[in-house]
Amino acid sequence: MPSVNTRAFFSKMGRAKYISHLDLSSVIIRAMKRTKLPIWQTEGYNPRTYVTFMLPLSLGQEGEHEAMDFRMLEDVPAGEIRDRLNAALPADIRVTEVTVPKDKNTDITAARYRIESSADPEKLRALCEKEQINIEKRTKKGSTIVDLKQLMTDVELDGNVLRVTFPAGTTFNINPSLLFEAYAAEYGEKVKRLRIIRTNIYSGNREFE
Amino acid sequence: MDNTNSMMERLDEFLLDVQKPSRYIGGETGSVVKDKSKVDIRFAFCFPDTYEIGMSHLGMKILYGLKNAVPNYWCERVFMPLPDMEEQMRARDIPLYALESLDPIKDFDFIGFTLQYEMSYTNVLEMLDLAGVPVLASEREGLAPIVMAGGPCVCNPEPLVDFFDLFAIGEGEEMNLELMRLMEVCKKEGTTRQEFLRRAAQIEGIYVPSLYDVDYNEDGTVKSITAKDGAPAKVRKRIIKDFDKVYAPDNFVVPFTQIVHDRAVVEVLRGCIRGCRFCQAGFIYRPYREKQKDTILAQTKALCENTGYDEVSLSSLSTGDYKDIVGLLSELTDYTTGEKINLSLPSLRIDRFSDEVLKKITDVRKSGLTFAPEGGTQRIRDVINKNVTEKNVMDSVRIAFEGGYTNIKLYFMMGLPTETMEDVEGVYELAKAVIEEFYATPNHAKGRPGVAVSLSTFIPKPFTPFEFEPQLDEAGVKERQAHLKSINNDRKIVISWSKYDLSLIEAVLARGDRRTSKAIYAAWKKGCKLDGWDEHFKFDKWKEAFEECGLDMAFYANRRRSYEEVAPWSHIDMLVSREFLIEENKRAHAGVTTPNCREKCSNCGVAKCVGGEICRAIR
Repeated sequence: MPSVNTRAFFSKMGRAKYISHLDLSSVIIRAMKRTKLPIWQTEGYNPRTYVTFMLPLSLGQEGEHEAMDFRMLEDVPAGEIRDRLNAALPADIRVTEVTVPKDKNTDITAARYRIESSADPEKLRALCEKEQINIEKRTKKGSTIVDLKQLMTDVELDGNVLRVTFPAGTTFNINPSLLFEAYAAEYGEKVKRLRIIRTNIYSGNREFE
Repeated sequence: MDNTNSMMERLDEFLLDVQKPSRYIGGETGSVVKDKSKVDIRFAFCFPDTYEIGMSHLGMKILYGLKNAVPNYWCERVFMPLPDMEEQMRARDIPLYALESLDPIKDFDFIGFTLQYEMSYTNVLEMLDLAGVPVLASEREGLAPIVMAGGPCVCNPEPLVDFFDLFAIGEGEEMNLELMRLMEVCKKEGTTRQEFLRRAAQIEGIYVPSLYDVDYNEDGTVKSITAKDGAPAKVRKRIIKDFDKVYAPDNFVVPFTQIVHDRAVVEVLRGCIRGCRFCQAGFIYRPYREKQKDTILAQTKALCENTGYDEVSLSSLSTGDYKDIVGLLSELTDYTTGEKINLSLPSLRIDRFSDEVLKKITDVRKSGLTFAPEGGTQRIRDVINKNVTEKNVMDSVRIAFEGGYTNIKLYFMMGLPTETMEDVEGVYELAKAVIEEFYATPNHAKGRPGVAVSLSTFIPKPFTPFEFEPQLDEAGVKERQAHLKSINNDRKIVISWSKYDLSLIEAVLARGDRRTSKAIYAAWKKGCKLDGWDEHFKFDKWKEAFEECGLDMAFYANRRRSYEEVAPWSHIDMLVSREFLIEENKRAHAGVTTPNCREKCSNCGVAKCVGGEICRAIR
């Protein structure tokens, strides 16, 4: 059956930040079912609505501009898809825009974050200005030491709010919470309140579309 | 919203350090959030177990929807936090809060618990304490909050009288709203708590324990129960007369994380025609009532559309007893197959398991099959009035094997009244016969057959014909287990049993009197909670608690009670008469079965209470 590739950008804020990546997919799929929109399902014995998420968001982090792909079986206006999804989604997940995908998830190179924390602004500034910020990055395959200083760009620090861009994507991804692990290691104090919001994702030097 | 936000900030500080945090923050689709300034009565609906278990419970969804349908009433959900969460809450002085508003429940008008099984009793105490509400009813002051309980366990509320202000006996749909209305009036009038309780006791089905005095005989049995302050001598359970028209939710709170029964659930009938003598639900939920086919279909559609679930299950004590089950399934599968929704039918009796029914449920998806013969021989099955024959079992498993199943689970009870070692061996013989049936079925599926035998220890429950019976003691249970183990030489048969200690406590709490309240309190003080979980159950603490209170567990669990003894629950009227229960007990000992309600009225007493017309509709 012919189908139209469709991409929705959405925000996942507030209480929704506690929905794990695994659970998010069933939350979205059930919402799609409630909309009765003609969304493509996999064929076979147990048909399943097909949704892929571009970049998993860590549990506890918020996202203002997340992306997911699915396929429409009929041509429905983008605004209508957005509105019907929003009517069915939990209040803290909002679809902001529905488009036709241009980039693939493998094209994602970086993501920008806004981080509100209870870290001492001066100490955080001093940390960011260090020559090297080495910290252990753990993955399923093991752990390596990365130098965050080499990886972070466009750093803006304004009081308790830090804006920063880190590499992101399917092959190499840096979780911004690493910076606060480095903070804890440097000053021997854990940052109590940490609100990490992913504000945008990039493909090379432009926004992911 | 101010409190919601500030509470959210406090939770944000540690929620990532607890397992599955989405259980503790609400915000799911279908959850009801109201403007506090327009709400007059607030109800904290507490399920004294985890989110995953409580969220699977249909009764909670019904009462949640029903109360929230009243504009100025707000009902919110509360569950038992797991130890990691509780530890954080206590360390940070965060009182137990409701999931919708995140407001502390101590400020609510009602804190209502549903009691589904005895082993959740200590969780009630833990939750009240975590909420900052005095655990003992006698220490509560002011009009609100009123701490109440409903659910099947409250047919014997006596072991819980120290902790609750009132109990709602029977079906809650009408009673809950009546209580909330009364609270509205009492708040306006500014009455005392005592005055509210005195008036509440006048509502049919409401039991206010502080308005009753209990005297005991020298042998420790109850002598008399006396009502005072105008409370009724007998509290009669409430039933919904027009079950087809009663409120049913057209939407559920759809959880973020997976729960035990993560699907739409539609209630098709209430009560049970069968009268299995061990089964409390079979008696306390009488009379038997069905919903119309069209009502069930409409509710199924609405629920699936509003929740987005791709699975729906029909709920009842025995769905196969629905009069036109084949017709119902045909209409339902027309809808569910078209929508690619999986229809599941738990609670199917062996003798109602027809080819046609199996075909309907396997059309969409195949799941494991469990049958409950309950007893190993025909003799014991007659004693318990489980009107199922070995032929019924064999016919059912053959259909299952023909339908592609290879594994069957069989559920039995051990320690049933009059049980002999022969009945115990019968369990194994039946399992063996099922394996043989597999090989004798010409078109059975490929693969090796397997039978999982699950044995639980029989627990005598109030308002059943076995309420007079002793529970089998530990030595008896161990002996039977060892024997079964020694005769099983077939590796295709796997036998497992429930923990004896746990069933002993359950038996004590099920038929306890007011004095057991003290032991529950003592056990909780010693750290007992989440008793239903193997890893948290502390039998030695329970034992200590009973000893310290001077109470003998065997007195409650292992003693035969005479027909003349005043039961601790004798002031509660579940509509089934005591004469009937005694008659049924005698028939059990004589090995005589009783026909089901559809075949012949057994004069249980319910027909008399509800005017007879409901019961006549069964046939």
